[in-house]
Amino acid sequence: MTHLTIEQLLALREPGAEPGAQAAREHLEACDVCRAEFDRLYQRVARLKALPALRPTRDRWPAVRARFEAERRTRRLRRFGLAGLVAAASIAAAVATRSVDRPLPAATAAELSETMARSRALEAAIDQYHPETRVLDGHTARIAQELEDRIAAVDRELEMADLMDASKRPAQELNLWRERVGLLDALVDVHLTRASNVGL
Amino acid sequence: MLKALSMDPYLLADAKAVLAQAKGGDPAGLEALYRAFEVPVYNLCRRICRTAEDAEDVLQETFLEICRSIGQYREDGSLWGWIRTIAASKALMRLRRNKYRDTDELHDEVVANRREDTHLRMDLEAALERLSETSRAVVWLHDVEGYTHEEIAAMMGKTPSFSKSQLARAHARLRRWLDEGVAA
Repeated sequence: MTHLTIEQLLALREPGAEPGAQAAREHLEACDVCRAEFDRLYQRVARLKALPALRPTRDRWPAVRARFEAERRTRRLRRFGLAGLVAAASIAAAVATRSVDRPLPAATAAELSETMARSRALEAAIDQYHPETRVLDGHTARIAQELEDRIAAVDRELEMADLMDASKRPAQELNLWRERVGLLDALVDVHLTRASNVGL
Repeated sequence: MLKALSMDPYLLADAKAVLAQAKGGDPAGLEALYRAFEVPVYNLCRRICRTAEDAEDVLQETFLEICRSIGQYREDGSLWGWIRTIAASKALMRLRRNKYRDTDELHDEVVANRREDTHLRMDLEAALERLSETSRAVVWLHDVEGYTHEEIAAMMGKTPSFSKSQLARAHARLRRWLDEGVAA
């Protein structure tokens, strides 16, 4: 008598009927040797499932969190950069419109332009530092996070400033851009200080 | 009030709130997911990867991916099923990257010959460890995790026939190494 192969026994455990499955089942019912082998297969799988769970020797969460937060910082910075450009474009458009209707005071327009340029330069400096590839210690990461959150809040206020009374808008926008520059300056300091401390 | 909801098959206290927190990018929610699934993910990775170090690296990569994409989890299947697929894919990618399969044939033959030369009974854990990486991965994914040959083939970039033949080969070896035939 030809007994069933391991492939045929395994196929009998699969859902659905493969070619030859019926003949294999009939053989299994009639053959004690194959039935014993089939039972052993079931027992082996049951023993595999019952193996104790293996556990990692180290806690990997701090490393996961540090990498995820570094990636998130980068995404935020990119978004701020984009938001900054959008806000700058909207202000430039507003300034152009006003120049037709009612010119901005020359000193305010010049200072606004200068502040926006400074903001862009600081964003470029942070980008060059590649914060996404750096791992910050917990304290530094919290400070950086707080600064980024405040920059995001300023960006939202800049978007809202467009809806303000036109007579108050230039002064408000200038203040917000100044605040944005101050926050970006602080963020550059956080990264540079950390880099110089560890000799990077 | 804390509710313990089943996340098939693992329990996570206040699961819905934790999931909502994690989806919002809250580090506390993400950490709760890590703590709930750290052991099953590591166990799966360790059964597939050659070394504990590799398995821990894959554990880290898996949870980084979970942090990035938990917002895309639609809750139409079990959370463990979603996490397990990420872990299995990452572990199999690690196998491919390390080119373990290049040495599978040699590894299998060496181990088989060594086993046949000795007549010591091996326990299941040791026997599983001695299978080639590919065979062990197929055995674990099919017999323990319940993936079909089609699913395993898709994850490995192979055919279902390849998965079936690896499983048959692995069971033939396990049977021999475990001396199960003695009682027959």
